Amino acid sequence: MTDSDALINLSISEAALALRRGDATAVALTEATLARVNETEPTVQAYAVVAAESALHAAEQADREMAAGRDRGPLQGIPVGVKDNCYSKGVLTEVGSKALAGFAPAFDATVLANLYRAGAILIGKTRCHEFSCGGSDPPTRTPWDLERFPGGSSIGSGVALAARSAFGTIGTDTGGSIRIPASINNLVGMKATYGRVSAYGVVPLAWSLDHVGPLTRRVRDNALMLGAIAGYDSQDANSARVNVPDFTLGIEDGVQGLRIGIERDYFLYKGVTDDVRVATKNVISALADLGAEIIDVNLPELAGTRETLTTIRLAESASYHRHLIREKGHLYSPGTRATLELGQVVLATDYLAALRARERFRSAMKALFRHERLTALISPTIPVPAPLLPDVWRPREDLDNSETPTDGFVHHVYPANLSGQPALSAPAGFTKAGLPIGYQLTGRPFDEATLYRIAYAYERTRDWHERQPPHVYN
Amino acid sequence: MPDAKEQSETNVRREQLARLAELLGVEVADDDLATLATQLDALDALEESELRDQPPILTMDAGWHD
Repeated sequence: MTDSDALINLSISEAALALRRGDATAVALTEATLARVNETEPTVQAYAVVAAESALHAAEQADREMAAGRDRGPLQGIPVGVKDNCYSKGVLTEVGSKALAGFAPAFDATVLANLYRAGAILIGKTRCHEFSCGGSDPPTRTPWDLERFPGGSSIGSGVALAARSAFGTIGTDTGGSIRIPASINNLVGMKATYGRVSAYGVVPLAWSLDHVGPLTRRVRDNALMLGAIAGYDSQDANSARVNVPDFTLGIEDGVQGLRIGIERDYFLYKGVTDDVRVATKNVISALADLGAEIIDVNLPELAGTRETLTTIRLAESASYHRHLIREKGHLYSPGTRATLELGQVVLATDYLAALRARERFRSAMKALFRHERLTALISPTIPVPAPLLPDVWRPREDLDNSETPTDGFVHHVYPANLSGQPALSAPAGFTKAGLPIGYQLTGRPFDEATLYRIAYAYERTRDWHERQPPHVYN
Repeated sequence: MPDAKEQSETNVRREQLARLAELLGVEVADDDLATLATQLDALDALEESELRDQPPILTMDAGWHD
């Protein structure tokens, strides 16, 4: 292993420590990351734009600041990638679409501005599915298996981390788009509480369901990144006016006495494959061994989440896109355009029925957490490991063709988008074939810290995060 | 499996959606319309049975006077 390999495999916490001890510089971290980008991009294509020159300039600035004693915190000098639906001043933001070809915003999304304020180094913009919906086919591939679905829509944010071409990334999650790539790429992905992270300057998919959040290789790193990007933003009407704690505070306190619910009927339904089921049960057993109380719970209202979320998403995304489609519809890929236009036939009464159903679901979830005194729900993040690319939309023969892998994804991830609760995906192990499996924790609003505490306690008992994807080293 | 009455209602819904799409000049695939019709029917049933006293979220921001 070269010095450069050693650097790119550091966690954010380790890199931050190395910078402060003088064992590394921001320039060295950035150069190693850019070398990694050059090495892996021909294979994985995680980045839409690589900002090498500005990254090196920012790294020099970070080193100068640190030498002068100005410490901006643990992200200072750390190379990161940001999903290409986040505005970046003067840097192309095409959101995977020819309809936005050449678009370079005049300002930064708040999430990016917050990263800059924390001293992070922008390596580039990570690829996403066109306008963050599933109708396109980006060239990005996961180094865990180049023939399999790499996750989406924050596709490059997951792959860049797996390929070690970033230390942390930003994704967005309207229907699982942080947690799905996290699960498939052996990562930690946090969809924080709705409104916790500003969505100002992020090209929306559906305003009332969109969440911005971090992906990392380690739990503590994720908590550090969330701490840097969270906070009230008057420019985002849906931003929450709540305090931002130090999410790493208490992360080592363990899970003794925490009550974690499992809704087996819904989250361990027949669509969950055996290896995912076993991995999830192993996580649950480990948490129980560490002192958590595992509670069987029942929430029948989960059953209506798909049609509720889909109706809201279709209507809101059609509303956002209809003017741009009138102007530049011919530049959308046909699948994306069809998805975004479908919402035009959703009536206002249907949309309102969905909003009412969402409130009913939130109320039921809240009552469950209160009644059972839960700190979190646990489940597989998604019911299947990464499917082969041609199988993503193909009915599963093992389920009598009753659902596709994509149906399974949304079954597990939609509930937290609908309720707005924080939900985290973290590594749960691997299939016999070596594909990553993730588990999901869903928590109380604005209690991300407890999810990190649970995930950190489990992470310490396993070494899943240390495994390298087979296609990282050519 | 949906019963015959449910299937018939879903077919009616699909026809309505198809006519609306045509009026709006929106090109949508038959499969997508069929899926949407099924989902909207499910929402409709939920609305009828359990959402009668459930308004959408309508909250005011108390922070105006901060």
